Amino acid sequence: MNKITVNFVLNEEPQSITVEPNLTLLEVIRDVLDLTGTKEGCGQGECGACTVLLDNAPVNSCLVLISQVEGKKVTTIEGLSKDGELDILQQKFIEAGAVQCGYCTPGMILAAKSLLLQNSKPTEEEIRKAISGNLCRCTGYTKIIKAVKGASGQTEEVI
Amino acid sequence: MSQFRWIGKPLPRIDAKQKVTGAVRYVTDMAFPDMLWGAVLRSKYPHALIKSIDVSKAKEKSGVIDVLTYEDVPGLNAFGIITQDQPVLCQEKVRFMGDAVAYVLAEDKRTAYEALDLIEVDYEPLPVVSDMEEAIKNTTKVHKDGNVLEHVVITKGNVAEAFESCDLVVEETYYTPRQMHTFLETEGGVATIDEDGIITVFSSSQYPNRDIIQIARSLAYPEDKIHVVGHPIGGGFGGKDEITTQILLALGTLKTGRPVKTVWDREESVIAGQKRLPLKITLKTGVTKDGRLIANQCRVVADTGPYNALGSAVMKLALEHACGPYYVPNTYLEGYCVYTNNTLGSAFRGFGATQATFAIERQLDLISKKLGIDPLEIRIKNALQNNQSAGLGHLPAPSVGIADTLNQLKKHDLWVNKEEYLKTDVPYLKRAIGIACSHQGCGLGSFFPDYGSADIRLLPDGSFNVKVGCPDIGQGNATAFAQIAAEVLHTDPDNIHVEIGDSRTSPDSGSTSASRSIYTGGNAIVISGRKVKALLLAEASRALGVAPDLLQFGVNNISTKDGDRSITYKEIASNVAGRKGTIRYTSRFDWPTSELEFNEALGLPHYVFSYISEMALVEVNELTGEARVLKAVVSPDAGRIINIQGLEGQAEGGTVMGMGFALMEDVILDEGQYLTRDLSTYIIPTALDIPEMDTVPVEALESTGPFGAKGIGEAVCNPITPAVINAICDVLDINITKLPATPEMVYNLAHKKIS
Repeated sequence: MNKITVNFVLNEEPQSITVEPNLTLLEVIRDVLDLTGTKEGCGQGECGACTVLLDNAPVNSCLVLISQVEGKKVTTIEGLSKDGELDILQQKFIEAGAVQCGYCTPGMILAAKSLLLQNSKPTEEEIRKAISGNLCRCTGYTKIIKAVKGASGQTEEVI
Repeated sequence: MSQFRWIGKPLPRIDAKQKVTGAVRYVTDMAFPDMLWGAVLRSKYPHALIKSIDVSKAKEKSGVIDVLTYEDVPGLNAFGIITQDQPVLCQEKVRFMGDAVAYVLAEDKRTAYEALDLIEVDYEPLPVVSDMEEAIKNTTKVHKDGNVLEHVVITKGNVAEAFESCDLVVEETYYTPRQMHTFLETEGGVATIDEDGIITVFSSSQYPNRDIIQIARSLAYPEDKIHVVGHPIGGGFGGKDEITTQILLALGTLKTGRPVKTVWDREESVIAGQKRLPLKITLKTGVTKDGRLIANQCRVVADTGPYNALGSAVMKLALEHACGPYYVPNTYLEGYCVYTNNTLGSAFRGFGATQATFAIERQLDLISKKLGIDPLEIRIKNALQNNQSAGLGHLPAPSVGIADTLNQLKKHDLWVNKEEYLKTDVPYLKRAIGIACSHQGCGLGSFFPDYGSADIRLLPDGSFNVKVGCPDIGQGNATAFAQIAAEVLHTDPDNIHVEIGDSRTSPDSGSTSASRSIYTGGNAIVISGRKVKALLLAEASRALGVAPDLLQFGVNNISTKDGDRSITYKEIASNVAGRKGTIRYTSRFDWPTSELEFNEALGLPHYVFSYISEMALVEVNELTGEARVLKAVVSPDAGRIINIQGLEGQAEGGTVMGMGFALMEDVILDEGQYLTRDLSTYIIPTALDIPEMDTVPVEALESTGPFGAKGIGEAVCNPITPAVINAICDVLDINITKLPATPEMVYNLAHKKIS
């Protein structure tokens, strides 16, 4: 199979990669670039564990072919904290106890990040809807919702 | 003001930062240079004889390094925690769609999966055993010795006589579905072998030390040359207690000398992974007219599918929990665990108690309705008390908190003001509050060795290394271990470096399962911590020239009681190092067990139990049969709370998991063939489905537990299921006996289309 070259920006760094065209964005992130913070939970766009931001919109990276990211901006969980400083969502997830096994956490945080980028003060219903494509089997979601609320500045204290 | 500095506090998880940044490498994230991918050929039929297996074409494919079959298994071609009845690679027969027939090792994942299509297996299909009652008749045998894997009868008192004296006897049969663990990380891992022949397996595992025994047995390889790292892991819930990929990974690396990785995709996980055993539970329950339980007769049939795994133990725990957390003087408990060609049944959070809780809690509501007694009051009336015998006839540990949990519900706003909560503005939306109780035996029960160990060492900087075997499968036991160690050692959790889940570096502490890890690991830490404290005190006494009884512990230091002089842990570490000594202790903790044992039902009974009550406000749409859980109030009794945030996390997560069990989750089979294959047909609750949840714990302290703690990881998913179902039945005046109660089922029951 002929390889293709794809140019995109990953976590604010320009990337130019030459790969087989049938690779998904998820496969490139995990297997080619060795960024394993992005998880595969189903490979069919059902669970949201592989959520990354594509031009700030959440996508299931298992459903995105690598050629589709040409010229676009991709953000993975590794790109969310800057110079060791955690994003407010990451801080609130820790404080609220929104993490258990943690396997859904990167995708969940990125889905919430996209929401807050568009809507800095979402309602609880808007939060629930924004993360409804991200399955979590451990937490029962309550503390995740609380963390997102905390990050949106709606509550003073999350604990 | 709490008497503790760390016990009970909502300390954030010690691994949370690694997880929110994506830095943590789960076992399935591991990769090594020169690594092969291993793909498993699964059976084509639910039940068939294998006439021949031809792997020659697959082996010829470019990029394929080897294709392994049963002929390549050097040792025992079977595994299983209790019974070694599951082949590593099938030889003469397949018994379910998830059976492994061949293992392809290729340079990359795509080549490996493509090569599966080149393997030629000649099968002779056999009749499929799909009904558990038919299985008992042995018309078609799944295993040559017959389909009844275990049959148990346990009695207390005399039910036949007792039923004669009852004012009301209620009999009903209940069916529970094949719930899937649905951990977000599917089963998988990586194995490597080094020049000394040491095999290291990084694989999702709830008990690395036991995996070593199973791997060694099948590979005919020395146990001391096998190393298993089971952690970090993306969820377990019981589904990673038995072997999944470990033996094949080890075999693959042994055969090729190269690292091998296998991660099941979701469909493979659905088909080959373990499930909650479907149970058929018939209960005949007798009471006096004022609602006092007199007798309970139970018959359970459990469908463990093709192999035992932990199925027979699950069946026995269903019997143990079939009388609920109530005092019932006369019981007759009979259980069958049978082989079929359905899904592989094994451990799942709740382990038989979940299924039994649904049945007995429906019985309680049927009785309360017939007698006109409030469902909360009938439960309070029958709640087990300290020094009353449980269903099996033994005395559980005297930390029975069930009545206290019910009283928590009774005074909760949702119950006190229930008339307000039950109002709706829409005529076809009707509400009710359902209540249910449960309990859960903690630990492995009688007979089986149940122990733990903690290795605590003072480090040069005055901090401590704490090693415990039990992996953290997501619930946060490592954080609890840090809190317990910090409390005992008079230091901060930041000064505790916890190492878990690695067979080489952390001492064997048994599995992370059976609501046992905090109790076991915590007790082991307390024992080691006290010894280390004594050693610290002796060193301080020597350094300060003051008798130990005139010294006191501060935080990270020991001072004279008058406060004049002190020595830090770091200084003590330096003094000890100067003499080339160490301060270190490795403990051994053994579980207490009941005085009663059943030779015919090993593992029963349990001694320490956690207790729980829950109520749910449910709204049912009469037009569609759809039920929504609006509020859930859960009162767990986990003994001493180690981390309140962790306990709430368990209560909330367990509630939502049990809600899924009640309303939507089932792996559907047709004659052994999977109709459910992925997460678009297996639906679990999302953020849009969850109720508002409130956790109102009680602490019935357990004198044998660390600071009085018991286990709670499982009980949390038990009572919500019948609480929700009881509410739906109450609203529509129907009797739901089969889970999940989908909108279609509820609608049809309400319109009397099915009985």
